[in-house]
Amino acid sequence: MQNLKYYFNFKAVLIFIIAAFLLLFNVFPICYLIFRSFFNDSGFTLEAFKRIYTYSLNWTALRNTLITATLSMIFGVMIAFPLAWLVGRTDLYGKKFFRTLFVMTYMVPPYVGAMAWLRLLNPRVGTLNVFLKNLLSLPDNPFNIYTLGGLVWVLTTFYYPYAFITISRAMEKMDPSLEEASKISGASPLKTVLTVTFPIMLPSIVAAGLLVFISAASCYGIPSIIGAPGQIDTVTTRIIDYVYVGSAEGLTDATTLAVSLMLIANIVLYISTFICGKKQYITVSGKSTRPNIVELGKWRIPITILVSLFALIVVIIPFATVAITSFTKNLGKPLSLSNFTTRYWNILLTRKTIFDSAMNSLISASLAATFGIIISCVMAWLLTRTKARGRQIPDFLITLGSGTPSVVIALALIMTMSGRFGINIYNTLSIMIIAYMIKYLLMGMRTIVSAMNQIHPSLEEAALISGAKWQRSFRDVVLPLIAPSVVAGWFLIFMPSFYELTMSTLLYSTDTKTIGYELFTYQTYHSQQTASAIATGILVLVIVVNWILNKLTKGEFSI
Amino acid sequence: MSSITLKNITKFYGDVEVIKNFSQVIADHEFVTLLGPSGCGKTTLLRMIAGFEKPTTGEIMIDDVVVSDSENFIPPNERKIGMVFQSYAVWPHMNVFDNVAYPLKINHVKKSEIKERVETILDAVHLLPYINRMPNELSGGQQQRVALGRALVSNPKLLLLDEPLSNLDAKLRESMRYEIKEMQKKFGITVVYVTHDQTEAMTMSDRVIIFNKGVIQQIDTPINIYKNPANEFVRDFIGRINFINGTVNDGKIIFSDNQFITYSGNKSGDVLVAIRTDSDGYIVF
Repeated sequence: MQNLKYYFNFKAVLIFIIAAFLLLFNVFPICYLIFRSFFNDSGFTLEAFKRIYTYSLNWTALRNTLITATLSMIFGVMIAFPLAWLVGRTDLYGKKFFRTLFVMTYMVPPYVGAMAWLRLLNPRVGTLNVFLKNLLSLPDNPFNIYTLGGLVWVLTTFYYPYAFITISRAMEKMDPSLEEASKISGASPLKTVLTVTFPIMLPSIVAAGLLVFISAASCYGIPSIIGAPGQIDTVTTRIIDYVYVGSAEGLTDATTLAVSLMLIANIVLYISTFICGKKQYITVSGKSTRPNIVELGKWRIPITILVSLFALIVVIIPFATVAITSFTKNLGKPLSLSNFTTRYWNILLTRKTIFDSAMNSLISASLAATFGIIISCVMAWLLTRTKARGRQIPDFLITLGSGTPSVVIALALIMTMSGRFGINIYNTLSIMIIAYMIKYLLMGMRTIVSAMNQIHPSLEEAALISGAKWQRSFRDVVLPLIAPSVVAGWFLIFMPSFYELTMSTLLYSTDTKTIGYELFTYQTYHSQQTASAIATGILVLVIVVNWILNKLTKGEFSI
Repeated sequence: MSSITLKNITKFYGDVEVIKNFSQVIADHEFVTLLGPSGCGKTTLLRMIAGFEKPTTGEIMIDDVVVSDSENFIPPNERKIGMVFQSYAVWPHMNVFDNVAYPLKINHVKKSEIKERVETILDAVHLLPYINRMPNELSGGQQQRVALGRALVSNPKLLLLDEPLSNLDAKLRESMRYEIKEMQKKFGITVVYVTHDQTEAMTMSDRVIIFNKGVIQQIDTPINIYKNPANEFVRDFIGRINFINGTVNDGKIIFSDNQFITYSGNKSGDVLVAIRTDSDGYIVF
């Protein structure tokens, strides 16, 4: 009995520690942020809101954010659903390759896409623009990236993988005999997709769409790289502009605008949980039949060509462009031997500031990933294996944190953690590590929870009945089985933290610059080629990490 | 009218041969059970009849139409077959009525007629009171009957059932056995039934096909299989049979503990004696 009591306390302590961490560094700062937007030194006031929203530029920014996020959501899902279906359920050629390619885009920093499309669709000298103009003998360059349309294009091509992954996962979980039952009832494959697959997938599709919406709405890198030259403001770029003003008033304005952004994100999140929570289809699945592969027949080759073309345009050309840019001497001239240089790679490999920033990113991302994965393991265990009271509290807080736009997290941390309340970690790596953890913890937790759900509790019970204590059974049975997911989860926190831009832009100090910030500065102010060299370095890292993960987990896991 | 002709069917998954040269004719109105342990190829065979799998070689005919051979393949949605899946596959986003009405909607049956036919079939499977329920509000047995109703509503001549009772509890299984049999008689359809449960096979079928490792072990009526199992596998799989080692000596079979039984057969030396717990007499091998 004594033992049992200790055991329960132990769980309570774990829950308390995790919840306290999130309450202190996420909930409290955000509450303070909201408070500050309504109260100034003399009391309650809507002054800040009035000031913000009487300035028409902010209205334009809000409108731009809503338009681009909505369109990216619609196009993203329209691309992701057919792709997920083709890759998961048909005999498309090279599905494994396509799958890896699309999922890998998820791990690439979105601003790399902005850099690439800037080069490709620049209204005057864009490579693709010039190529198309000559090919079709057009009077003018067909595209201009510095427009709302350009912004939507880049946001869509870099956020559709979020939807692709969500929908693919749901599709894998669906019992294939649901589709077979439709076919045996006489429905054609297309009719089956429309009347059975799509409606059953609908909650996941909605969730996927809203994920794209929130990500696109809170994205800073893409709108700042593409929007700045085109003078297209979004809420995120406005917030950061206000912070950079530096004055107290600027900070208040930033805060107020951030509260608006958070409101949008929270409403969307609420709708998403409302819809998905209501329509969670649980299907009794019998023995695992072979996944029901739809034969594309005469469409197999044309569709494969179409998907290849898509991959070429959306993944391969942009990445290649960035890589080529890093070797180009004069950006105004086409690539040739005389225009080839390794100068920028030399800069990348020798310049101390870049190296220092890379080290900062490496350290803070590793620490964030390591602490994050420890919390994820504990949470996964609490959620899937115990009935400990209050275990949903940290779960909820973690979900809340990752749903909060990055700018908001960072701004809230600045406002509260720079000494005002007795904690001053501003200008240190700690504040970045904390910000990364809050934002990316959910990815790690989800990975491990789903791995734990696949381990039947009887495996652990068998260890317990053999005489092992729960700690021992966790170590001997659970840990070896979830090890691949732990590794994958670690990288899922590490990678986005490593190249993070939005929060780092607000939280960096001269000693704690990150590689994302470094790249961004080079891209906007100094040299696109150096920025491209850094970006290519990150791309190589993503590919290498993916390859290691694949080997390590025997093909079971890659990101 | 619906008979199935299977000619020289083989099926490979990679290098593994799961069905070895299978030929059989299933007659109109017949209730045939494919019986065997898991992994014996019985579900694969059923899925080939449905059209979810293609035989590697061989020909499948339903009545006199070739539905699958090296050149022709009719997809499942054009075969006009009813099927009940092991996991029921009741669509979670449709209520009972919509689930059952689906095959009729696909075939463009008139709305008024759909209503009438769905209600008739739901009455037959005792689900009429649940017509507006969602699947998650139904028990396993009720979902299973929705699946059965959906399979029967378009009056198929051929019904395929893939271990339809394996997710139900023992008592429900017994009553569903009876109901399925009743349905078959009532609608006069040909049924191919897959199971690993001897009792289901013995009590429902006109003929039982016993499979092991992709090879037919015996095809016969339940009673003949019971009386005359073709080989040791069938004997072992069917009855509750004890096998005892003994030696024939001087009109007796002597067992290890010096107990003996009289024996007048022509075997000699070491023998295997099979004694059924549920029948008189014994068989000597």
